[in-house]
Amino acid sequence: MTQPLILIIEDEASLRRFLVPTLANHDYQVLTAATGSDGLAMARSHNPDIILLDLGLPDLDGGEVLRSLRQWSRKPILVISARAQEKEKVQALDLGADDYLTKPFGAEELLARIRVALRHATQAVADLPVLQCGGLRLDLERREVSMDGNPVRLTPLEYRLLEALAQRAGKVATHAQLLNEVWGPVGEGQTHYLRIYMGTLRRKIEPDATRPRYLLTEPSIGYRLNVE
Amino acid sequence: MGKFKEGGPLPDPLPETAQPILVALGSEARTLRLVHTGFRMAREQGCPWVAVHVAVPGWETAVEADQARVWLQEAEEMGAGTAWVKAATVCDGLIEEGGRCGASQVVMGADRPRGPWDRLEHSRAQEALRRSLGVRIVTVPLDPPLPRAAAARSGADLLGLVLAVGVILGMCSVFAAALAVVAGFPGIPPVFALGVGYIAHRWGRAFSAPATAAALALYGLLFVPALPLRPGDWSNGLYLAATLVVAQMVVLLVDRLAQETRSLHRREAETMLLTVLGRALGRCATAREVAAVLAERALGLFQAQAWLMVPGPDDTWLHLPEVPEAPPCPRPSELLPRFGGAFHRDDPFEPLFLDSCSFVALAGQGGSEGLLGLRLEEGRPMLQESWGLFQSLAVQGALALERVRWLEEAHQARLDTESERLRNTLLGAVSHDLRTPLAAIQGAATSLLLPDPLPEATRLDLLAMIRDESERLARLLGDLLELTRLQSGGITAQKEWQLLDEVVGSALQRLEARSGPLPIQVDLPQDLPLVPLDGALMEQVLINLLGNALRHAPLSPVQLRAWEEPGSVQLEIADRGPGIPAEFHQRVFHKFFRMQRDRKDGGVGLGLAICGAIVDIHGGAIWVEDRPGGGARFRISLPLDGVPPSPPEIDTQPMTLETLP
Repeated sequence: MTQPLILIIEDEASLRRFLVPTLANHDYQVLTAATGSDGLAMARSHNPDIILLDLGLPDLDGGEVLRSLRQWSRKPILVISARAQEKEKVQALDLGADDYLTKPFGAEELLARIRVALRHATQAVADLPVLQCGGLRLDLERREVSMDGNPVRLTPLEYRLLEALAQRAGKVATHAQLLNEVWGPVGEGQTHYLRIYMGTLRRKIEPDATRPRYLLTEPSIGYRLNVE
Repeated sequence: MGKFKEGGPLPDPLPETAQPILVALGSEARTLRLVHTGFRMAREQGCPWVAVHVAVPGWETAVEADQARVWLQEAEEMGAGTAWVKAATVCDGLIEEGGRCGASQVVMGADRPRGPWDRLEHSRAQEALRRSLGVRIVTVPLDPPLPRAAAARSGADLLGLVLAVGVILGMCSVFAAALAVVAGFPGIPPVFALGVGYIAHRWGRAFSAPATAAALALYGLLFVPALPLRPGDWSNGLYLAATLVVAQMVVLLVDRLAQETRSLHRREAETMLLTVLGRALGRCATAREVAAVLAERALGLFQAQAWLMVPGPDDTWLHLPEVPEAPPCPRPSELLPRFGGAFHRDDPFEPLFLDSCSFVALAGQGGSEGLLGLRLEEGRPMLQESWGLFQSLAVQGALALERVRWLEEAHQARLDTESERLRNTLLGAVSHDLRTPLAAIQGAATSLLLPDPLPEATRLDLLAMIRDESERLARLLGDLLELTRLQSGGITAQKEWQLLDEVVGSALQRLEARSGPLPIQVDLPQDLPLVPLDGALMEQVLINLLGNALRHAPLSPVQLRAWEEPGSVQLEIADRGPGIPAEFHQRVFHKFFRMQRDRKDGGVGLGLAICGAIVDIHGGAIWVEDRPGGGARFRISLPLDGVPPSPPEIDTQPMTLETLP
């Protein structure tokens, strides 16, 4: 397999200086753009396998760049943003970004997110009828859940919630996305539905519900099914 | 019967020899006169006095009750004991309180009775009081605050008036005839003069002329033929005429006196209004409250709707309180200059009339604060005297608005100074803490860049140092930003109904991501209710508290517990560290406060200040206690306000293939 091509759209030179060698050292080809318009042009001409997009660009709003990319590209997009930009992150995720990284971040975290995003891009979930992470086993075809080999009895809503998270295994799922997939239009804005069901789901799956290993909370944003 | 004392000294420990005077206070402005009467009587008789307000449920608005409290306070300042009694009738309340304090006299106000029924009712109530308490009742007449409108009498009133005049003159005739026949007294004219004088005094001078004419006619008809008429007898008629003229003069003088009395009453009423208004306005902290007080007063005084108009954004008027059908009004920039000339004159009172509404400028010292609008009901024109009251209202309102504005400006100025001071302290305190990690990073990086190769172990050690120190820098900056935003009011809690498990879970997740598993024992009951809180902020609180506990007590487990109490959820984080001396229990929450023993551990004293600020914007409380058996115990109380959302559809049946959608 050829080396995946990564496009970094980031205006801060120091961050690019850290990203480029780190990624190149892990067998990725790297392209960089310092502005949103350059980034869009390079994305069109090179069709990268994954895009790292900073939300605080000087020329274009991150949301705009994301929207124009999503008009023609289904390739994974990771957004990078500062802390306390929760609203922008949620907006970007709901607009079709695959995941996010909060500055400052370490190299390990970055590489893990890129791995997950690329794996999702190459393998549709339907190809994986059985999801195994740690002791948790989820058989999407037979609708069976087990923990360390013992079957776990879930209610229909709990199962749908777990299924929705599994569709994005390893990636973040926003509150709005989960509510829409599990409850449909009636769930809009009812974040406490999610909290209640996530609570019961954790009690059934997690060995210690206050130290979740599988169902991680992304504060103010959503949840993530941990596959690492 | 519920009863409670309103502040102040209780009248209980009275000297046994002196029985107190009980003064029954109402809520209207005239009550002040009762307060003064009670004070005077108590002084004269050298006995204590007790002011009581009887609240009859359903008969009093909240504003009236407030006003009654003001009078009680006034009485208290004048040395009275005070009491607030709830009772079914005023009479019952007075009997209860009078019996309780052993009053010897009861002072109460009395409106002039409107008719025989009122009179009967009053005397019956007084009789009941007298009988059950065995006390002397002193009534103080309370005149109406304004003379009743003398104009605009209806036809029925007029007919009654003519009848009354007729009856009086008739009685005069009978009396005069009786005098003449029985006593042979020829003083018929003075009797008529008396009647005319009474009529003029009772119904106004306008009626004295027709009454005089009627008296002359009656005299001519009834008495002249009865007397032996001689040519010289015209002098008798002249005598009557002269007497009537004198009567008119007397009436004129009496009338003038009455007018002066009335204007005195009016001035008294105005003074009382200003006292009441001044007190009420003095308590206002916002323009909205000022407006509410003015509207309330205007309704009481003029039975008219009043509202305040202040220039709002975009050259529009802001109506306070909201007026449902405010008349369309020219824009502030257009309307205010029309009052413009009046602002700095001695008399800013030049009403402007639009539709059925009148407007006056609220002219403060620094210019116009806005307008006071008044909508009079149709067919109820305002009396000339009332305009004076309206003016007083406007002037007081303007002063209050000005005061409110100054208060806001002073508050803003204080905030500015405070944030400036904070910035300076911040810079001073932080520069050292910023420089230390920077120096380490710089040093490590330059050593790594030296041409001589370093041993692999040293190289890794320096790199790890760069990582750790930069993390420390990032944490410090994050804390600083967070605290600054919290304290400047830039962050409000985005409260959502949350499970505490989840917030605790994500705090542990973040803590343990840094350092691996930590000795934290979590005890959260499964039936803990949803709590309205901002997840991200509360997570920060938990991270700070748990981080502190772990740092100070690394050898024993930290315990995190939560439980529900009525109206709140309580959180506790307890450690077995060295604890916090009692004298620092408050100060640990101040920013940049560090105890001597913590100076070396790299913190800046912001963590607990952040916790305090976050709990504060949640409307909760945070404090620290000594843990029995040693250590510190931090407690958080979060209010459970509002109604917890009902859980989504019941979904407890385990899943089968059939139940799946």
